[in-house]
Amino acid sequence: MPSASPSTSSGRPADLVSRLASPDRGARLRALRELKNQIIGNRTKKLAYLKLGAVPAVAAVLADASDDGGGDGDGSCCCRRHDLLVQSAAALGSFACGVDAGVRAVVDAGALPWLRRLLVSPDEKVVDSGARSLKMIYQSKLAPKYDFLDHQNLEFLLSLLNSKNDNVTGLGASIITHSCQTSAEQWALYEAGVFQKLVDLIGGSVSQRDASLESLTAIIRNNHEVTPKILEFENGRALNLIIKFTIDKSPRTRLLACACLIAVSKTSSRYVEGIELESKLIYRLLELLEDPGQVGDEASFALSSLIEEKEDLQKLAFEANAINKLCFHLQNGLSCPKRLQGILLALANICSKLEICRSKLLDLQAFDLVSDALRHDCTDIRVAACICLRSLSRSVKNLSAGYFMNETVIIPLLQLLHDPSISVQLAALGAISNIVIDFTRRKSNFIHCGGVKLLAELSMAMDPVVRSHSLRALKNLTFLADRKCKEVVLSEITASSLASLIRDPESAVQEQALALVRNLVDGCVQSVDYAFTENGIILDAIGRQLQYASKAEIGIQGMYALSNIASGSKVQKDAVMDQLFQHGGMNTQPFIMRFLHSNDNQLRTASIWVLINLTTSYCPGAAGRVLKLRNAGIILQLKSMTNDPCLDVKVVQKIYHLNVH
Amino acid sequence: MAQVTFLVKLIMRGSSKKVITKEDWEKRLNDVKIRKEDMNKLVMNFLVTEGFVDAAEKFRKESGTEPDIDLSTITDRMAVKKAVQCGNVEDAIEKVNDLNPEILDTNPQLFFHLQQQRLIELIRNGKVEEALEFAQEELAPRGEENQSFLEELERTVALLAFEDVSNCPVGDLLDMSQRLKTASEVNAAILTSQSHEKDPKLPSLLKMLVWAQNQLDEKAIYPRIKDLSTAKLEDPSAS
Repeated sequence: MPSASPSTSSGRPADLVSRLASPDRGARLRALRELKNQIIGNRTKKLAYLKLGAVPAVAAVLADASDDGGGDGDGSCCCRRHDLLVQSAAALGSFACGVDAGVRAVVDAGALPWLRRLLVSPDEKVVDSGARSLKMIYQSKLAPKYDFLDHQNLEFLLSLLNSKNDNVTGLGASIITHSCQTSAEQWALYEAGVFQKLVDLIGGSVSQRDASLESLTAIIRNNHEVTPKILEFENGRALNLIIKFTIDKSPRTRLLACACLIAVSKTSSRYVEGIELESKLIYRLLELLEDPGQVGDEASFALSSLIEEKEDLQKLAFEANAINKLCFHLQNGLSCPKRLQGILLALANICSKLEICRSKLLDLQAFDLVSDALRHDCTDIRVAACICLRSLSRSVKNLSAGYFMNETVIIPLLQLLHDPSISVQLAALGAISNIVIDFTRRKSNFIHCGGVKLLAELSMAMDPVVRSHSLRALKNLTFLADRKCKEVVLSEITASSLASLIRDPESAVQEQALALVRNLVDGCVQSVDYAFTENGIILDAIGRQLQYASKAEIGIQGMYALSNIASGSKVQKDAVMDQLFQHGGMNTQPFIMRFLHSNDNQLRTASIWVLINLTTSYCPGAAGRVLKLRNAGIILQLKSMTNDPCLDVKVVQKIYHLNVH
Repeated sequence: MAQVTFLVKLIMRGSSKKVITKEDWEKRLNDVKIRKEDMNKLVMNFLVTEGFVDAAEKFRKESGTEPDIDLSTITDRMAVKKAVQCGNVEDAIEKVNDLNPEILDTNPQLFFHLQQQRLIELIRNGKVEEALEFAQEELAPRGEENQSFLEELERTVALLAFEDVSNCPVGDLLDMSQRLKTASEVNAAILTSQSHEKDPKLPSLLKMLVWAQNQLDEKAIYPRIKDLSTAKLEDPSAS
């Protein structure tokens, strides 16, 4: 690689790195400066020098110069030492800026303690340089966590925040933003009075203000005890200040103030004066979306977090024309991955509950842009597109209109099931689960595209969440499906695999497998037959699983599956009876007795449905089954449930009695 | 400043178009109280932002107005600005990095523009080979990272394709104005990094004056300021 800076041409990069270890201080200093000036702003060069091992070499210069006492000898020597400290710290900071591998290398080179020592230097420039570098490091997720629970660390942090130097206070705030995560840490920072210091700093310079707003957010986030204490401090001084900065001149400050208030609203909503401030936040964030830089990219993430799971705020965002604005940026923001991801997530959140929002998005012809994003190079964008699609497909109207069951959507979604990233697979499964419900006759499209085969394969995946999500998709596909569809599902997944999934070690998988059986055997007598393929291996697995089921959800799905099977012929009803009693043993009561006593309303309801289907009087053999149930004390138990507190239970209980008498 | 405050008050009142005599106007102007310290701060803000360090120093001594940043930083900032204006871009980059390495590390657009200016200077000096190598090594990777950088890079490299650059469609890149543009971008970034506003307040105040007069023109006939350099009030009856 030829030197890229012709006028300072001084040989190859490897030579430059070796000159960092030169015995001559002057040569070392020149090499450091040259390295620093080459890498600042230049990601390519940072990576190239990282490979050449420049970071440990620079860290060694720093350590050497730090150890070198200084103060003695002549002035020029002292001056060089000062320069070596400043330049090496600056170079390390630059390596850590925006490059993960750089942060890792700086940390691995053991440079952190040396950089920290610079902060107590009497020389302001050395302090600045050290603080800036450490700030760069702590802005990365890869930086080591700072332990606030350690008393000495906390003292040191306070000394940083009390400094007169902007860079040092900024560093203190960055450390908090980076490392404060648990409520114990938030509490420790609160008790040490850190937040008062931060509130003071909000009134300081622009950089202090931004840094302290961000770290206050970290201390407030999800902490119901600390938040009120901070907000009520000095008659709400902090809150008033934060609100004031939502209309600041600097877009970054506005965004950080909004983010802080979002954290407040999610923790203690009473402080944001009900809906009014939240609605203002929506408008502020939509304005910030117009910012062409990083602030604009991040604004959509903040908006997502504000309206997430909150239907009232989603409506407000809709009224604030958010969907038009987001779709406009969706059309124009394709070059920046972060922005595209944020916009897709914001749209996903707005459309997660309200039909008006979904139809608005479809009216704006934005659907194609969302489905195009499924094929994007960037993983995060593919995930975001899936989540957005999942929100859009929550609508019965859109499902019935057949927006999703076509090849432009299904094929890329199915391709994502092969994605190396599990998060992409899961997001795709989430969208597929909704789409396959489809109330029209288009389920066959999905089968033609090879969807069932893929889902059946994934139901055997190593990851339990992938297993349960793919079973859920199959379950939704078989919901009210025709026989042809069910047959494909069963032949792809096979009865023996389904039986082993019912006995999966993970309860979430068991639940979805039982629910899939429930939908498979729903409907006509031929459907019920599916439970009896391969010598009734599925039915057996259900009975066994119910015997040991500890979770109500598993009992519910299993009992509904049995109830559907019990709606079949005499032989099929008798087979269910066998399951009810065969696992009972001599001393243990049948599991259905346990379920009738359960606290879970749905489980009691499902259990009675099984009994109703078993005892339907016009079916052959009903009298014998009633007798057996009576002998086991089950009928008596059922009679005692006339005054069950749950309405559903009471109703099915009435149906049962109509049945038997 | 008094004129602006007063004008805004009048606009807010929203009266129908009426005539205000010069006498009456001046009388009302005198009622608007502006603190001398605020005026001084405005002047100091202008001197600091624009980088008139000697003037700022003298003004500090004479008026007792304290600048909001260390005056020595102005000298450094001006040195960077001047280096860009003279075409010594590499020197400017080193100076910025000495001042604060964060500036170019966190501002990819500014970094690109400085590198682009370096390329322009190489082309201006007829160092074709060096220019090509520099574009390939330093600028091409930035173009890969950002589409708009790539477009600007292509425009700049196009300079090499023309025999007579002064007459080519991208010749404006070689103008002095391009250097000034880059210099003022660096200047603004340094000011921002020092938590200082990048534009002086005084010109915005003048813009507000012009805006306010335009608004008021629709509502009243009054003594306007036509010549901003003298701030002389025109007599409404004369026009």
